[in-house]
Amino acid sequence: MSTKPSLPELRPNRYDALVVLVVLALAAALAVRPFLAARAPQSGALTVVVSADGQELDRLPLAQFGTHTYTNNGYTLTVTAADGAVSVTESDCPGQDCVHSGAVSHAGQSIVCLPARIVVELVGVADGYDLVAG
Amino acid sequence: MRFSTKTITTCAVLAALALALSYLESFFPPLLPLPGVKLGLANIVTVYALYALGASSALAILVVRCLLGSLFAGNASALLFSLLGGLAAMLVMIALHALPRLSVYGVSVGGAAAHNCGQVAAAMLTLGSAAPLAYLPFLLLVSVFTGALTGFVAALLFRAMRHAQAK
Repeated sequence: MSTKPSLPELRPNRYDALVVLVVLALAAALAVRPFLAARAPQSGALTVVVSADGQELDRLPLAQFGTHTYTNNGYTLTVTAADGAVSVTESDCPGQDCVHSGAVSHAGQSIVCLPARIVVELVGVADGYDLVAG
Repeated sequence: MRFSTKTITTCAVLAALALALSYLESFFPPLLPLPGVKLGLANIVTVYALYALGASSALAILVVRCLLGSLFAGNASALLFSLLGGLAAMLVMIALHALPRLSVYGVSVGGAAAHNCGQVAAAMLTLGSAAPLAYLPFLLLVSVFTGALTGFVAALLFRAMRHAQAK
């Protein structure tokens, strides 16, 4: 931790391009799974899983979900399912990120509300019922 | 490590500047409807301190900024986010700035990317869920642009300093 003060290079060069490439490669590698999830053919019914602070609150079929409100960490969210998708339609948090992030409609996708510490996830039939298949 | 009075004073001024910049940034409208997308203006101070004062001073400024920042915001969970993001960025930038030939742009982009990784890790910890990981590819993409922008401002700053010292 005793790096001496030094004068930096001030013009971008190809070594900087290498850093950018590494960051982009990491982004691409991490994007593969969400990308495949969004393009996978829909097979059967989806399940909405709502959890707060890592604890599961609700697990309901998307078709029967309707509208629910959840309160956690001092914030209240309204979660609505419509037309095969689920979205956070109302929130009293300051950022409104969860409302602006829109609706999700594919297995493996989720909406995160950080202030309320609530996660709304869509789970496909395959990962939802694997454990009780036997 | 021993800090001279001059170093302590410079660190205090830079920590105050970093705090003011992040406070200023909180008034900007969000760039994109995604949590964690920020310009990261305070990172300019970290980059400057890393080159002008060295790693230990830059680290001290960062920790003071994170502690006071979350104290002013009155939000204890913000501390985890700013500390994990800030420390990840700091470690990556210390490593990158030790490499020869890499310019202030590469160091800044690497720091911005690491900052987002740290914040997503903090989100995964507070939520107890892997769901925030889905945001990371997009945040990394944005960090290339925000990192280049803060790198550009830092380069301007260093040019101005060189110019002032030459006179």
